[in-house]
Amino acid sequence: MMVGEKRNPWLDQLIRFPFYLLALFVLLPYYWMATAAFKPLSEIQARPPSFLIKEPSFHNFFDPRWKFGEVSTLQDVTQGLFQRYEVGYLGQIFANSLGITIFVTLFSLLLASAAAYVLVKHKFWGANFIFGLIIASMMVPWEVTIIPNFLTIRDLGWINSYQALLIPGLAKAFTVFFFRQVIMNMPNDLFEAAKIDGANEFRIWWQIVLPLLRPALAAMVIFVSLAEWNNFMWPLIVVNDASHMTLPLQLSQLAGDLSKDPRSAGVVMAATLLVSLPALVIFMLFQKDFINGLTAGSVKG
Amino acid sequence: MKNDLGTQAQLTLEVSKPRRRSLNTLLQHHSVPMLMLLPFMLLFVVFMVYPVLKSLYLSFTDYNAVRDPTFIGIQNYREILADPRFYKALQNTTIYTFASVILTNIIGLGLAMAFGSQRVLDQILRGIFFLPAVAGGIAIATVWKWILSSEDYGLLNTIIGWFGVESISWLGTPKFAVPVLIMYTVWNGLGYSMILFVSNLRSIGNELYEAAAIDGASPMQRFVAITVPLLRPTFIYTTVTGIIGAFQVFSEPYIFFADVHNVGGILDSGLTVVTYLFEKGFYRFQMGEASAVAWILFAICFVLTLINLRVQRANESVQ
Repeated sequence: MMVGEKRNPWLDQLIRFPFYLLALFVLLPYYWMATAAFKPLSEIQARPPSFLIKEPSFHNFFDPRWKFGEVSTLQDVTQGLFQRYEVGYLGQIFANSLGITIFVTLFSLLLASAAAYVLVKHKFWGANFIFGLIIASMMVPWEVTIIPNFLTIRDLGWINSYQALLIPGLAKAFTVFFFRQVIMNMPNDLFEAAKIDGANEFRIWWQIVLPLLRPALAAMVIFVSLAEWNNFMWPLIVVNDASHMTLPLQLSQLAGDLSKDPRSAGVVMAATLLVSLPALVIFMLFQKDFINGLTAGSVKG
Repeated sequence: MKNDLGTQAQLTLEVSKPRRRSLNTLLQHHSVPMLMLLPFMLLFVVFMVYPVLKSLYLSFTDYNAVRDPTFIGIQNYREILADPRFYKALQNTTIYTFASVILTNIIGLGLAMAFGSQRVLDQILRGIFFLPAVAGGIAIATVWKWILSSEDYGLLNTIIGWFGVESISWLGTPKFAVPVLIMYTVWNGLGYSMILFVSNLRSIGNELYEAAAIDGASPMQRFVAITVPLLRPTFIYTTVTGIIGAFQVFSEPYIFFADVHNVGGILDSGLTVVTYLFEKGFYRFQMGEASAVAWILFAICFVLTLINLRVQRANESVQ
């Protein structure tokens, strides 16, 4: 980083060398996952493990030896992922995760931006107190709330329901705090002018604040949706039936199979590949936005 | 025309009058914004404020989630503070937190300095290091579980075998449990801290380095005197958020070590504060004790953050 001087290129590469090794180490699990998903069982069981795929196959996804209509049992290693879990079932889990992520991201950001705008620009008695409460709540570890929230969900009869997965995660204090910083810097004249033109607060929020919040919204979309896609503890607590399963939850059960029966490794890797693939593709397409979005949350000097 | 003038006059008149605080005008003025605030506040109170108060109450009760809670004073706290498993969890979490935060900072800064430029190769490498921040989570923890497997299909054992090291049961040997967690977390988090350091390094102008170079400062001196102090904002951010996040670690130790009977692995070697809390609450349904653990966790995070900010501020005033 120290620019503006001549450096010995060999020395430079020598210093960098451990970091190149580190890059390989970071890639290794992805490489291992992607190759294992297409390895036949015999290669997965090879001792020592091999880094190459000798006979690529799709058996881990769909095993042709399996006949349609046969009953699936978890123990049967000749079954691929799509046979072990019927395609419709897997599709539902995928749809659950996707739907929950989209819903929570969309509505938590709408609610938070509206709340932040009202609290910053609409002066009323108690606004500062509410802000103080929201900021104070950010100091509280999330774990403090899980037991009462579990009890609330149980008392509402929401165990094994979509409401349980969607509603409690909608009020995100951090996003209000983040939007507040941005909205405070928006010029008041803008809102005054709109008010003179007869716009009420709702229209100002919808037509002026939201478009101006765009970069902040993009940052929070990445922040919230990644966290939601990977959310594990909450579904683990409130869901135990098949139809409300989410991907991380299902994967953790598959991982449990793996420790019982190593022969299912290929199928588990096929599943992990399927789960990480959307994130990988989106990451490659939007690498810059991802990085800008994630650094936006940090304090800068 | 005349009408317009009339309303105009009325308007000025109304503004100059002291505002009448009738319920009607209050409603007119506040109803739309209050409706905008309401959904967030409702959810915030029901799922954040109320639970915080309730868990504080529950932490002073004996509650098994079925019978009504009975007030027992500070007995839960006493029991937890006398439980050797809690200290095991606390010890594991503390070692894990400090080791992973320090390593992530150091390696992240190293990566930022080595691969911070706009060259294509550096951009690709930064993408690689950043990958786990995006495609991480449970999926890749599962892959790691297989790589770490002690059976002879375990990849890590094969690799260390090349260097003549005997196979190790990574997840089944108590002394390796916390190091494995640290290794995974550093692997997972170094790209994120790298990116934060890169953006901070970019904000430091070249002039400072050039001036220092003219004054005869060695690269090492320039690093210590310019780079490190000017990186303070990023250090503060990664350290504070890193400590709080690490103290709350759950998914990874749960995936690596939990089974039907026990969440902590062999001899609780992989037990952390939150997996301990989870076991109390959702394996044994000791909701009161679990709430007390949550409040102890809160106190720890609070104190650590205060110490952290105090130390950083003290450094700041020295300079």
